[in-house]
Amino acid sequence: MSLRSPRVLLTIAPLLTPIAVLASQQAALASTAPSIRIPFEKYSLSNGLTVVLSEDHTTPTVAVEVIYHVGSKNEVIGHTGFAHMFEHVMFTGSGHVPYGTHDKFTEGVGGTNNGQTSFDWTRYWETDPSNYLETALWLESDRMGFLLDSLDDAKFRAQRDIVKNERRQSYDNQPYNRDGEVIRLAMYPSTNPYSWSTIGGMTDLTNATVEDVKQFFRLYYAPNNATLAIVGDIDPKQTRAWVAKYFGDIPRGKPITRPNVAPSPLSSEKRLTFEDRVQIPRLFIQWPSVNMHSEDQPALDLLTDILAGSRIARLTKALVYDAQSAASVNAFQNPSENVGELAIIATPRPGHTLTELETQIDSVIARFKREGPTAEELSRVKAGQQLQFLNGLQSNLGKAFQLAEDQTFFNDPSYTFRIAYPKTQAVTAADIKRVANKYLGSARVVLSNVPLGKPEMASHADKSTVVTDPFTEKTTSEAKP
Amino acid sequence: MIPRIVRAPGSRGALLVALIAASSLSAPARQASAQQAKSKSASFDRRIVPTAGKTPELRVPTWTKLALSNGAQLIVSEKHGLPLVSFQINFVGGADQYEPATKTGLANFVASMLTEGTTHRTGDQISNDLQLLGTSVGTQIGAESGRMAFLSTKDKFGPTLAILADLLENPTFPADALERLRSRVIVGLTQNRDRTAGIANAVFPKVLYTTDHPYGRVTTEASVKAITRDDLVAFYKSYFQPGHAVITVVGDVKADDVKQTIEKALAGWAAGGSPPSFAYPPAPAPKATTIYLVDKPGAAQSTFAMGEVGPPRDTPDYYALRVMNEMLGVLFQSRLNHNIREVKGYSYGVGSGFAFGRGPGAFRAGGEIVTAKSDSALIEFMKELRDIRGPRPPSDDEMAQAKASLVQSLPANFASVNGINGSIASIYTQGLPEDYYKQFARAIGAVTKEDVVRVAQRYIDPDHLAIVIVGDRAKIEGPLAATKIAPIVWLDIDGNPIANKVTP
Repeated sequence: MSLRSPRVLLTIAPLLTPIAVLASQQAALASTAPSIRIPFEKYSLSNGLTVVLSEDHTTPTVAVEVIYHVGSKNEVIGHTGFAHMFEHVMFTGSGHVPYGTHDKFTEGVGGTNNGQTSFDWTRYWETDPSNYLETALWLESDRMGFLLDSLDDAKFRAQRDIVKNERRQSYDNQPYNRDGEVIRLAMYPSTNPYSWSTIGGMTDLTNATVEDVKQFFRLYYAPNNATLAIVGDIDPKQTRAWVAKYFGDIPRGKPITRPNVAPSPLSSEKRLTFEDRVQIPRLFIQWPSVNMHSEDQPALDLLTDILAGSRIARLTKALVYDAQSAASVNAFQNPSENVGELAIIATPRPGHTLTELETQIDSVIARFKREGPTAEELSRVKAGQQLQFLNGLQSNLGKAFQLAEDQTFFNDPSYTFRIAYPKTQAVTAADIKRVANKYLGSARVVLSNVPLGKPEMASHADKSTVVTDPFTEKTTSEAKP
Repeated sequence: MIPRIVRAPGSRGALLVALIAASSLSAPARQASAQQAKSKSASFDRRIVPTAGKTPELRVPTWTKLALSNGAQLIVSEKHGLPLVSFQINFVGGADQYEPATKTGLANFVASMLTEGTTHRTGDQISNDLQLLGTSVGTQIGAESGRMAFLSTKDKFGPTLAILADLLENPTFPADALERLRSRVIVGLTQNRDRTAGIANAVFPKVLYTTDHPYGRVTTEASVKAITRDDLVAFYKSYFQPGHAVITVVGDVKADDVKQTIEKALAGWAAGGSPPSFAYPPAPAPKATTIYLVDKPGAAQSTFAMGEVGPPRDTPDYYALRVMNEMLGVLFQSRLNHNIREVKGYSYGVGSGFAFGRGPGAFRAGGEIVTAKSDSALIEFMKELRDIRGPRPPSDDEMAQAKASLVQSLPANFASVNGINGSIASIYTQGLPEDYYKQFARAIGAVTKEDVVRVAQRYIDPDHLAIVIVGDRAKIEGPLAATKIAPIVWLDIDGNPIANKVTP
C-alpha cells in the first residue's frame, strides 16, 4: 500500500483480526464479552453515500475517514499506479478549499491527516480535536464534490514528481522491495490488475496526465462509491446534520463497473531469479490462495501464524532455531477483494544457501500437511486475538478503518466482530490441515533475490530464470557493487 | 484485506482560532470566482470555513505514587471501561550509561536474551506460555532509558506478571542463543549497509560526535563480535535493579490491589542499584560546513543527513526550539517539506528534528532526494536553514499552527492505556516535573516570534554543519561541488575518510 505522506509516523500493524475464543476460555471471556464490539449507527444519504457513526468520548478527539471503493485493481494497462497518484492529487486543494488549508485544519490544529491506496480501496482520513469535526467534514466533502474545480496542470505535475520519488524511495532504492512486483507478474497474466503493485510502473507514472485525473474522478469519486466513517467525541444528532449539509448536495455518480478478475491461473511451479543491490540473498515463495470473502480465509490466516508467527512456530523453530540456517522466516496471507496470496519469506544466515532453505521449508510443510496442527498450536494462535481486538477499540481511527472497510466489502460495518470472529473461533485443526493441503501445492512461484551478478546464488539456480522488474525507472543503473 | 490500524503520532499546541480562520479566508480570489455558480446553487456558501467550537480543555490523566519495599517506585493510573492493563518497568538510564564503549549493541543483546531462557523455563516454554496468555513481554533498552513491558487483558495480568518476574529475576543467557542472536544481528547490519538511509544513520552520528562520545557510537560488526556471555551477565546485574526503576501500571486496576499483586510477584527482586549519572564528555567543537559524501553506486536516490550538535533536553530554550522546529521541519506544510517536496518535487518527504537527550543531542535535517536534484535540494536546505534565522521570520499563521500542533495533539496520547503509560513513564525516565503536560501547554503558548528567531540563530548554524550525503557519487559529486556550498570529503560506508579524496 502507498501513503500520501511518509512524514506522519504511522505504525501500521495487523489488528482487529477476528477474535478467537477457546472453549476453555469462554468463562473468562464472559465478563469482557460486552466490550468486544464497536457500537455504531449506519445510514445512507439519498445520493448513495453510506455513513457510519460511532461515539467514544474517552478523549476530546474525532476521526473522520472517507473510503472509496477504488484501488489499483481498477487501473488498466498503461496506467498502472494511477489510483495512488490520484490520492496525492486529493491533497492539492478543491473548489472551495485552497491548497494548504487541509493541513492547516488538521495538523495545524493538533490533528493528523493522510491517505492510503490499496489494490481495492483508497481511503482518506483526518483526526482532529473534536471541536474541528465540522471543519473536517467541510474538507472531505469539498474534495468529494469539487476536486476538479481547482485542478491545474502544474499542481498535477508536482504531485506526479513526488509520486515518482515515492516509487524510488520505497521500491527502487529499497533492497528486496521489488520482489513483490516481480512475483506478481509471474502469478497473474499482465491483463490481471493484481499483476502490478499499487505504486505502479515508472513509465506509466511519467505518462499520466491531468485528463486522466478528471476521468478517474468522474468514474469513481462519487458518494455512491464511498463510505464515510466518523468515530470519537461526537454528538450523533449534530453530526448527522453536518453530514447532510456538507455531503447531501453532492450528486450521485453513474453506476460503477467493477473489473471481472479471474483467479491466478498458475498451474505449476515457476522459478525466478531477481538480481538486486543486496549482499545477502532472500527466498520468497508465494502460492495463489483465497480472497477476503472465502470461507477458507480464517483458517489460512491462522495457518501463517502456526508456520511463522513466533519462535516456536513450525518454520521458525525448524530453520531459525534448530537447523540455524535462517536469520528469519516470515509468512503471511494477503486476501484482496478478488484474489489472494500466501507467502513465505526466508533470509539465510551466512554460510547457508537458498537451496538449503527451500528444501527445509518444503520438508516442514510436507510434514505439516500430513499431521496438521496440534491442539496446543491452535490454542496459541487463537489466544492473542482477544487482546488485539480490545487494544484496537482504544483508537478512534482504528475503529473507523474497521467499520468503513467492513461496510465497503461486506456491506456490514460489524462484519469483523459479528461474523469473522466466530468463524475464526470455530476453525479446527482439521480445517487448517485441509487448507494447508489445498493451497500449499506445487503451483507456486519461487523467487530468489540475489546480489547483482550472482545468479548462481539462486535456489536451484539451474532451474531458475533471471528476470528484471519492468516497473523500475529505466535510467536507474544496476551498477555492480 | 487484513484489517489494519494506524496509530497517529502525538504531541501538539495552543490554539489561535481567530488567526487561523482569518488567514484561511484570504484564499486566492481565483478559487472563489470559479466556484460562484456551484456555491450559489447550494443552500450555503462553501467558501466559508466552518467556525470551530470551543477548544476542549486539556485533561491529563492522574496517577497515584507508591513505593515497593525493594525501593522501586510504583505509579498507578486507573482507566476503566475496557478490561486492559498496561504494565511497564521503566529504568532510568540506558545503553549510554551502562554499556562499555567497545561493546555497542550489548544492551540490545541483553534485552533480546531475557526471553531465551530462565532457571524455570526454556525459551520455547516462555514463548508458549506467553502466547497462551495472548500476550508478549517486550524489553527495550534505548540510549538513556529502558523498559520491560506488556499489555494484557485484566484476567491475564497476574499470570503475565509472574512470567515477567521470571524473565527479570532468573535469566540464564544460554550460550547457543547468544551465537544465534549474534548471527541474526550481523545479517541485519549487513542488510542495513545496502540502504542509503541505513548508511546515513550510521555515518552521521560518527561524523558529528566521533566514536569517543556515546552519541557517536553505533552498533557495528566489530562491536557485536566483541560481546561475550560474561558481558551480558555483567550488564544484566548492574542494569536490572529496582533502585533506578519506576513501575508504571495503567488500566482496569485499583492502586492498592495492584501494589499488593506486584509486591508479591516481584518478591524475589532484591533491593539494589541507584540512578546513574548522566555526565557526558563534551561534544567535539564545530567544524566549518563540510559535505561528507558516501558513494552508493546505482542508488535511486540520495539520503541527506545534515546537522550539528544541539542542546540537551533541559535547555530553557526547549519550548522555543519545539515551536521553531515544528514550522521548520515537522508539519507537512513546514518550510522544508513544503519547499523541497511540495513546490520543488525533489523528494517524497523531508524534515528536521532535535534529539533532546540528557546530553547534547544532535539537530538533524534531511530526507531522501532524487539523484538528479541532489545539488538543487542542498541549495534549498541551506536557504531554509538560513531564512528561519531572521531573513524570513515566522508568520502569525506559522506560529499558530506550530503551537496548536504541539499542544492540541496531547489528548490523542491519552486515548489508550499504552499511550497513557508511555506519557507518564517518560516524565520519570526523563526527569521532568510531574505537572509537565500542563506546564508544556503554558510554556508553548508563551513562545514568541522573537524567541523562534533567537533559538534558530543560536542552534542552527549554516556555517558549521556536517552534511552527510549517501548516493551515486558519479552522478552527484560534480553538481554538489558546483554549488560551492562546502568542500567535499569522501567517506567509506563506515564513515571513515578515504585518503586524498577531497574536492576543494
